[in-house]
Amino acid sequence: MSYQRRSQRCSQQHSLQHSAPFSRPGWQLWPGLAIASALIVLAMAGLGALVLEASLPDLSELWRNRYLRTVVTFTIWQAFLSVVLSLLVAVPIARILARQPVFPGRAVLLRLMELSLVLPSIVAVSGLVSVYGRQGWFTGLANDWLGASWDLYGINGIVLAHVFFNAPLAARILLQAIESAPASQRRVAAQLGLGRWWYWRAVEWPAVKPVMPGLAALVFTLCFTSFAIVMTLGGGPAATTIEVAIYQSLRFEFDAGQAALLAMVQLAICGFLWWLAARNGLTASLLPDRRVASHRSKAGSSVWARLGDSAALGLFVLFLVMPLVAILLRGLPGMGSAFFPEGTFSVNPALLDATLRSLAIALPAGLMSVSAALLILASGTTVSRPAITRLTDVAAYLPLMVPPLVLGTGLFLLFRPSLGNSSEGLVLVTLINAMMALPFVLQMLKGPMGSLDSASCQQADQLGVLGWYRWRWLHWPRMRRPLALAMAYGTGLSLGDFGVIALFGSPGQPTLPVLLYQQLGSYRIDAAAATGLWLVLLLLMLFSLFNWLGTPLFRAGLATNSSRTVPEPEHA
Amino acid sequence: MLIRALTLLLLTSAAVPANALKASTLTIYTHPSFAAEWGSGPAVKKAFEQTCNCQINYVVLDSGGDILQRLRLEGESTQADLVLGLDTGTMETTRQTGLLANHETDLSAVKLPIDWQDPVFVPYDWGYFAFVYDTEQLPEPPASLAALIAAPDDLKIIIQDPRTSTPGLGLLLWMRHVYGDQAPEKWQELKGKILTTTKSWSDGYFSLFMNGEAPMILSYSTSPAYHMAVDKTDRYQAAEFKEGHYLQVEVAALVQSSDKKELGRAFLDFMLTTDFQRHIPLKNVMYPATDLGDELPAVFNKLIQPSKALYFDPKAVTDHRREWLNEWLDAMTR
Repeated sequence: MSYQRRSQRCSQQHSLQHSAPFSRPGWQLWPGLAIASALIVLAMAGLGALVLEASLPDLSELWRNRYLRTVVTFTIWQAFLSVVLSLLVAVPIARILARQPVFPGRAVLLRLMELSLVLPSIVAVSGLVSVYGRQGWFTGLANDWLGASWDLYGINGIVLAHVFFNAPLAARILLQAIESAPASQRRVAAQLGLGRWWYWRAVEWPAVKPVMPGLAALVFTLCFTSFAIVMTLGGGPAATTIEVAIYQSLRFEFDAGQAALLAMVQLAICGFLWWLAARNGLTASLLPDRRVASHRSKAGSSVWARLGDSAALGLFVLFLVMPLVAILLRGLPGMGSAFFPEGTFSVNPALLDATLRSLAIALPAGLMSVSAALLILASGTTVSRPAITRLTDVAAYLPLMVPPLVLGTGLFLLFRPSLGNSSEGLVLVTLINAMMALPFVLQMLKGPMGSLDSASCQQADQLGVLGWYRWRWLHWPRMRRPLALAMAYGTGLSLGDFGVIALFGSPGQPTLPVLLYQQLGSYRIDAAAATGLWLVLLLLMLFSLFNWLGTPLFRAGLATNSSRTVPEPEHA
Repeated sequence: MLIRALTLLLLTSAAVPANALKASTLTIYTHPSFAAEWGSGPAVKKAFEQTCNCQINYVVLDSGGDILQRLRLEGESTQADLVLGLDTGTMETTRQTGLLANHETDLSAVKLPIDWQDPVFVPYDWGYFAFVYDTEQLPEPPASLAALIAAPDDLKIIIQDPRTSTPGLGLLLWMRHVYGDQAPEKWQELKGKILTTTKSWSDGYFSLFMNGEAPMILSYSTSPAYHMAVDKTDRYQAAEFKEGHYLQVEVAALVQSSDKKELGRAFLDFMLTTDFQRHIPLKNVMYPATDLGDELPAVFNKLIQPSKALYFDPKAVTDHRREWLNEWLDAMTR
C-alpha cells in the first residue's frame, strides 16, 4: 500500500481575513527560518575560525595519510554496524509493544527505554562494563555455558554500547509512529483478519516509513560522533573516530588545519546523509485519524505468538535493565553519605545545590528546544520550495554533526562571554543545551506533526480555523503526548550533559555531571557512583513527570490515542 | 502595557550590576580537581583571603589543556589574573603564546627532584607517574618497565590515550626516556597487554579499574595515599620500577595582561608557603612543592620512593611530541 507517496502539506490556505492571532503566514515561516539560519551561521563561524587560524592541509592528505584513512573508514564502519543492529533490534520491539498495549510494567519499561539515551556516558559505560566486561556477569555466563569467548574491548564492545544507547530510543520513536497509524486502518486490518506479515505490510510499514530515514540518520550521526564510548571500549588507538582525531588535533597539537579538515569531512558525510533523509519532508497523512472502536488484531493472540513476544520482550528487558541494575548496586553504598550525612535525613548541600542548578538550566533548555523545533517544523510546512524545507531540516541537525569543540569555539568567538559573570555563562549553557537537544526533539515531533490529514486541513481552512486556534484545537490534542516526551528528552539531555558546560567554564558552582567528574577527580569513587545513581533517578522522575503531564485529564477530546471506546463484537 | 514592560526590564537589569565583582578580586583559571569542594582550592582561598583583604574567584575549566585553550582564544582581553593547573606537558606551549608574565618569586623554598629555575612558572605540586595495582588481583607486580613489557599477555593494564590525557602523555615520554629510539618496538610488545586506552584518568579509574577489569592502571605514585588515608585500605598500591619514574610538576603563572600583578605575585609567593602547601598532600593527592617536614601526612612515607626521576625538558617535549605521537600511533595500529 503506497498511500503516503505523494507529499501533502497542511498549510493554511486563506486569502481573506487575518483575524485569528498569529494567523499571518509569516508567523509560520520566519521564526523557523531565522533559527535555522542562526544555526548555520554558528557552525560556519566555528569552522571559519579554525580555517582562519591555520591553513588547510591538502585534501589528498585524506587518502594518502594512512592514519587519517584508517580513522575515516573506522568511523563509518562502526557507525554503520551500529545503525543496522540498532534498527534490527528496535523494529521488532516496537511492533511487540504496539501489539501488546496492556501488560504489567509496560509504563516502567517505556520510561526505562526513554532513559537510555540521556544517561551520562561515563555512568552508562560503567554499568555496561560491570555486566559485559572481563569480570562481568554476562561474560562469566557466556564463557562457562556457551563456550564462546566474549571480549568487550573492540568493535563488538562499541557496537554493543551504541545499541544499548540507541535501540531503545529508536524503538520508542517507532512505537510512537506505529501508534499514530490511523485507527481506521487498524480496524479494517482487524476485520480482515490480517496475519502478522500482512499487518506489517499494510499498516505498520507505511506508518514507520516516513520516520525511518530520519531515525536512521539520527542514530548514524550519534554513533558517528561518539567519543568517550569509543575510547573506553575500543581497546586501543586503532579504534579512533573522527571526533577523537579532532579533539587531539585541537587540544594537544593545536593543528587547527587538520582539525578543520576532519570537521569538514564529518560535516560532509553526515550532512549528505541528512540531506538524503530529508527528502521526505513533512508528509501529512492521507487518512483522517477518526476515533473508531479500536480492535486488537487477532494476529497477536495465539498462545505461541504471545510466548514468542514475551520471550523477545524479556530478552530486551534483560539487555536494558542489567546495566541499570549494576549502576544501582554501585551507587547504593554512597547514597548513605549523600542523604544521611549525620544519621538524620538531610540532603548533602553540595548535591542539593548541584541538583537545583542542573534543573534551572535543563528546564528552560528543554522548553527552548521544543519551541524551536515546533517553529522549524511549522516553517517546513509553509514553504513551497522543497530546497528551503530541506535546508531548514538539515540545519536543525547541525548541532549533532559539528564537533562540540568547533561549535564551542565558534560560539566563543561570536559572543565572547566573560567567564567571571556566572549568570551570563549559565544562560549561554542553556542556549547551547537547547541547541544540542534540537535534533532529537525535532525527530520526535516530526511524525506526529504530520498526522493531521489534508482533508481536515482543508476543512479547517474553509471554516476559518486559523493561526492560534488551529494550534489549540487541531494540533495540540494530537501533539500533547509527543510534546511531553520531547520536552522530557530536551530536559533530560541537558541534565546529563557534561561536554557543553565544560566548554564554558562553570564558575566553581557545579551542576550534577560536573559534580560527578569533580568527585571522580578527587578519588571519591563511592560518592561519584552515588551521584551517578542520583542523576539516573532524577532522570527517571523527570520522564515520569512529563509523561503524566502529557496524558490528557479528560478523555473527551478530539483525537487522543486512547482505546477506550465502545467495544465492538469480534469480527472474522 | 509598554510602561509596565519597561519597568520590568529596568528592574531585572538593575540586578546585573549588583552582580559585578568587587574591586580587588583575583581571578584564577584552574581545573576541577583543584577547585572542587574537597580539593585544595577552597581551603587555599580562605587562607589567602585572610592575609590579603581581597577576594579570590576561581574559574573552573575542564583540564589543563582547556586552560591553555581558553587563554589562547581570549588573548589579550582575558580576565584571568593567574592560571593554575598547567603542567610540564603544556608549559612550553603556554609560554609560547606570549600571554604570561615573569613571576619574580623567590624559588629557594622549592624542593623538587629536579632543579627548577623557570622565570615564568612557579611549581605548586609534583608527583611521579606509576602503575597502581590491585593487591588482591595481583600480589606480585612487575618490578621494572622491562618486566612489564616482557610479562605474558594475560596481565592486562589500563592506560590513557596520550592524545587526550596527561598521564597518557606521561607514559609516552616515560617509555621514550627509558628506551629512546627503541620505544616503538617496546610499545608493540606492550600492546597485547593493553586492555584499552581511555580518554581520561577518571574514565579509566571509575569505569574500568574499580570494576576489576584489569589489575593495573596508569596513575600517580601518590594515588594509594588517598586510599590509605581516607578509605583506610591498603588494597591499592603503586608498582615501583627499577628504571625510574617520569616526573610531573604542576605549575601556576601570572598573566601579562592582568591589572592586578601585585596581588598575583603576592599569591604566587603565598603558594610557596606552608599555609598553602599543607593543603596539597591529601586534598590534591600529590607531593607538595616545598618541604613540609612534619606536616606531611604519615601515609606519604608508605609510598614508593623511585630511585630516579626521569624528565624531559619541556622545550624538547614540545619540539618532538608530534613525531613521538605519530610513532606511537604507528606502532599501536600496526
